Amino acid sequence: MRKSRLASGMVAALVLAGTAACSAGSSTDDDGKLTFMFRGGEDEKAAYQEAIDRFSADTGVEVEVIVTDADQYATKLQAAISGNNVPDVFYIEQASLQSYVTSGVLLDITDLVAESGVDLENIWEYGVDSYRYDGRLQGTPDGALYGLPKDVGPFALGYNKTMLEEEGIDLPDQDEPLTWDEWLDIMEQVTKDTNGDGKIDQWGTGLNVQWNLQALAWSNGADWTNADKTEVTVDTPEMAEALQYIADMTTVEEVTPSSEQQATLDTYQRWMEGELAFFPVGPWDVSTYNELDFEYDLIPYPAGATGEPATWIGSLGIGVSATTAMPEEATELVTYLSADATAQQTLVDAGIQVPNLKDMAAEWAAEEDVQPANRQEFLDIVEDYGRPMPAAVTYGAAWYDEMWTNIQPVLDGKQTAAEYLAEVQPRMQQLLDESNMQAEQAAAANETE
Amino acid sequence: MARSSRLHQAEHRWALAFVAAPVLGYVLFTAYPVGFALYTSMTQWNGLGAMRFIGLDNYVRLFGDQYFWQSMGNTVFYMVGIPIGLALSLALAIGMNRAIPLRSMLRTVYYVPVISSLAAIAILWQWAYNGDFGLVNQFLAWFGIDGPNWLASTVWAKPAIVIMLIWKGLGYSMILYLAAIQSVPRALYEAAELDGANGWQKFRTITLPMVRPVTFFLVVTQVIAGSQIFTEINIMTPTGGPEYSTASSVFHIWRQAFRYQDMGYGTAMAIMLGILILIITLVQFRLNQRNSFVLD
Repeated sequence: MRKSRLASGMVAALVLAGTAACSAGSSTDDDGKLTFMFRGGEDEKAAYQEAIDRFSADTGVEVEVIVTDADQYATKLQAAISGNNVPDVFYIEQASLQSYVTSGVLLDITDLVAESGVDLENIWEYGVDSYRYDGRLQGTPDGALYGLPKDVGPFALGYNKTMLEEEGIDLPDQDEPLTWDEWLDIMEQVTKDTNGDGKIDQWGTGLNVQWNLQALAWSNGADWTNADKTEVTVDTPEMAEALQYIADMTTVEEVTPSSEQQATLDTYQRWMEGELAFFPVGPWDVSTYNELDFEYDLIPYPAGATGEPATWIGSLGIGVSATTAMPEEATELVTYLSADATAQQTLVDAGIQVPNLKDMAAEWAAEEDVQPANRQEFLDIVEDYGRPMPAAVTYGAAWYDEMWTNIQPVLDGKQTAAEYLAEVQPRMQQLLDESNMQAEQAAAANETE
Repeated sequence: MARSSRLHQAEHRWALAFVAAPVLGYVLFTAYPVGFALYTSMTQWNGLGAMRFIGLDNYVRLFGDQYFWQSMGNTVFYMVGIPIGLALSLALAIGMNRAIPLRSMLRTVYYVPVISSLAAIAILWQWAYNGDFGLVNQFLAWFGIDGPNWLASTVWAKPAIVIMLIWKGLGYSMILYLAAIQSVPRALYEAAELDGANGWQKFRTITLPMVRPVTFFLVVTQVIAGSQIFTEINIMTPTGGPEYSTASSVFHIWRQAFRYQDMGYGTAMAIMLGILILIITLVQFRLNQRNSFVLD
């Protein structure tokens, strides 16, 4: 008797303790402190902490930092929002912007940014416009501003300078892109057995279709959708040609490691071992690649039918919660991290990004004796010819992911690119229709609330 | 009934308070979330803004979603590992029950995967399965076998994950079997020996029936856990594997709910999965009832 009463007492205590802990967790911050939620590795975390500490010292606004691993970020942020525990300032992915805006989570900071006196002209248009949304299209210059770029991530092509020099091949021009044929020709020359053991151990490249088809397709005049993002246009001859070119590299021309060995890690590893002549380079790779024991440099992606190079730019934005108690301070933090010269210098010095500010970037690109020597290529991509990923400016990414799910037979040479694209287009179209419909309904539902 | 003195009234109130606590807990942490999930599954909701009630549309859509069924199929495939794992761990438990050198060290070694971080294990096996540098293929190369690139192959990715799951679950099942074996009354074996039973007969007629409750417990819990496998899949094959061949149900649900921000649809699938697990578990209890016997 006594014992069981004790037991139920303990249960009650536990339940109450649980409830108490729960309600404490969801209390909003009215204590004059900003919460900032972001993601990143150790280097990034340290660099951001340094920048934020200086922000607090300058403005007297305390900032509580919540940092997560990259792959947990979206889930945790969404959980925080569902639990009414929205951080004041947080990273937003381009691809989530529209649903965050239509759901009333993000604050329209157009006016606050204008008042803050930040010179938006000095930040990459691409970066700023990525976070503009006019209620129908994202990335248009006249939409309302829902964030500023944390960074821009131009995806450039690199080549192993040391290898090409050893093979006696002329180095590719920095400004004039190679044609696809010229590119293939170089790759055929370098693909060989270098140590005479009968096995090939040096290849032209090894491209992951998911991250490289964009460059080839766009430069060949193909695209994933029409301009107003309502029609999937992957079933064109131009797209098929680009996809086939990537597949043929492996199955016909054999200038890449075989398809089975082409999981991302492997070609990335092989590039770092100096076994590949060409490989993509993003700004986030630079600090790693600079440790390698060969020299590399950047060139534009080889050009397809249009004669123009193309590639994509990633970007993350920093936005402000619509429910923040301190909109001015929160916006100030956003502008500080995105556009303050000292803060940018801290982040650029950490080797994690290209400067957001045009004038700073120009100096950065002109620096001598740095690797890659042609840093300017990153800036050219941002300024001239880079584009957002196809799914970065639509409401959801399901339609886009559908393209990759069953693509393996094409890469293995068991199905032609044209056949596959004709087959996958209706499925992608259906998913895009669904997500466009959901976008409209979500917007309508929030308006009537 | 008859007793209603002031003293007992006070006791009554206390009793109610104590009863209320767990009931409150249940309502707050179980009934409300379940009800909320049921409602969510009948809405279109991106997890952020307003919900739009759409009745059973999500459930209708689910029946036409080939990836949902594919991921269900994959999940069922992973369960192939359960009987294999149980047989192996029973064999191990019998081995570990004998007086062999380094016994306690071996027991510990087998248990290490159980207490290790799931994410760490998944990353470890991801490396081991690497087509070029992986431990597994280097091992196979000793025997002249040219191993596949496990996780990038539609044929081998699922078996690769099953092998990992068996390896990980071995220690846990082994410990429970070990305890069960040690609690079998010695007298049964002695009686069997007097009757001239050999080792196999003793195993088949005494050990196996006596550890049946443990087997039942393990099957039920592992089927439930297996239906919810996620972390290993998400780390080892972040895109759901070649042609979605490794995506589990929970992986698919998570992708819909969080990556595509289709929380209503994801919840509908989660509820569907919950119902299926419930049915399977009930069937298992039913089967077990028929098979169980009482030792007089």
